[in-house]
Amino acid sequence: MPKFLVLYKWTLDEQDIKVKSDDLSLDASRAKGKISDFDRNAIEEAAAIVEKQGGSVEALSYGTPTVKQSLKDVLSRGVDKAYWIGDASAETADAAVTAKVLAAAIRKIGPYDFILTGEGSSDQFNQQTAPRLAALLGLPCLSFVHKLEVDGAKASVARKLADCTELATVTGPAVISVLSDINKPRIPGLKQVLGAAKKPSEEIALGSLGLAAEDLQPKASRRSVKGFVMTRKNVIYKDAPADAVAKLVSSLAGEGLI
Amino acid sequence: MTNMTGIFIFSEDRALAKQLLTPALELKQALGQPVTALALDGEAAAELAGHGADKVLVLQSASGWVEGLGDAVAGLVGEASVILIGGTQRGKHLAAHVAARLDAGLTTDAKSLKIEAGKLVASRILYAGLAVCEEEQSFPAVATVPARTFPAPAAAAAAGTVESVPTAADGRIAVTGVTPVDKSGVDISSANKLVSVGRGFRSKDDLHLAVELAGKLKGEVSCTRGIAEDEHWLPIERYIGISGQIVKPDLYLAVGLSGQVQHMVGARESKIIVAINSDERAPIFEAADYGIVGDLYAVLPLLTAAINA
Repeated sequence: MPKFLVLYKWTLDEQDIKVKSDDLSLDASRAKGKISDFDRNAIEEAAAIVEKQGGSVEALSYGTPTVKQSLKDVLSRGVDKAYWIGDASAETADAAVTAKVLAAAIRKIGPYDFILTGEGSSDQFNQQTAPRLAALLGLPCLSFVHKLEVDGAKASVARKLADCTELATVTGPAVISVLSDINKPRIPGLKQVLGAAKKPSEEIALGSLGLAAEDLQPKASRRSVKGFVMTRKNVIYKDAPADAVAKLVSSLAGEGLI
Repeated sequence: MTNMTGIFIFSEDRALAKQLLTPALELKQALGQPVTALALDGEAAAELAGHGADKVLVLQSASGWVEGLGDAVAGLVGEASVILIGGTQRGKHLAAHVAARLDAGLTTDAKSLKIEAGKLVASRILYAGLAVCEEEQSFPAVATVPARTFPAPAAAAAAGTVESVPTAADGRIAVTGVTPVDKSGVDISSANKLVSVGRGFRSKDDLHLAVELAGKLKGEVSCTRGIAEDEHWLPIERYIGISGQIVKPDLYLAVGLSGQVQHMVGARESKIIVAINSDERAPIFEAADYGIVGDLYAVLPLLTAAINA
């Protein structure tokens, strides 16, 4: 019976982040947290496999102390137990730091047969966690998976790449990153949300992982962040359809497009 | 280590590998270090050696599975200052493994690269395109670079050297089949005009309105992720966005789509963006050059009729 660990990131919902027009800085004061989109697919995939063929699903997240807010959501998605590492270092962590922290935590709470995560996070989309983690743990890694079948210790996957679909097999333990089209994540119902309150969660103190201060220093550090501005003409016609269409056609002709 | 030296490039995509030489040669100017390319076969190696690589190493790999070459590549680039890897999915996987092995940073999808005060400074997007950031890395520094970010360089006056190196691959993964993507469909990324549909369409049957308009414009129909992945009304290859296609057509006509940032990042380099949406407050209007606030079911037939074939 496979033992799964799903890695997820608690991110800000980018839909609620605004670009300030004066200095192009980002205003995230109204942004709420969410489980990073593709990680929801990873959670769903592990949960669905375990519901069908038995096994267990645990989840692990490293984030700022706000990561604790994610526990109810993650536990209502078919996860048996959630581990969390909440530390201020996550604010500046790059993929190198994240992989080191996750690898150290997995050495502590593992082993697992299959470690799943989304192909990238919806904020940074570094797409590095799965292969980096696999390299640090000395495990094989299959990335960009859009079909996953688990039979005992063996996983058979279809990977969707830009120019081909690739079928591959691996014997666990292995690290697997999934694409968003692998499944449709469940929307937890009231019963699942209430059930989540009874499920266990455990904080892992960063200090207990035996990492050096240097391990928490990002190798790629953000120097500046600026909102992307697109300057467009913004000529909007609000007339009755026939008039608006006539004006638009004339504008498109003026641009040499028709 | 302070004596990091050498600029390395690799991509299994031959066109992209050649494009990587352009930023690599700029870094060579800045750092005064040679450019070494890694290639998978002799033909690719000769091409890179003829376009500015000082040296090309041909990886003699047992399986050729690029993702499994991480340990080998990390060994070969040992003392590198900068490693540029083509930003395909295979390349991203490989780059992350190499960076972990070297305990290095890695900038994903670098749009620009420069050296400042002995560090690699690269720009990239964040929050699905909402923001742009600059990342800096000490050496060794790794970056993946998307296709077509840089032009290929001209042929070099003198060819670099080529040598073969035996390479061990990851034997733990068994690749059991490869099916090329059916390219019988259109290549959305090469279309000059796109009519892009979103959830403003009430049913799949209604998409003919967009198909007819695209026909008149001699363009193609594209869509949002929701239309392709949730509704399955159009094939996955037609969706535009951060995880889908990135397009740069002359005309991007967005119909019944709100213009979420994850979608727009795939379309915002279009020359002219037109929006048709019934919701005056939809963000697509801020991203549009021209727009009509109105019901697409009324507007599209009129627009199709008004364009002379």
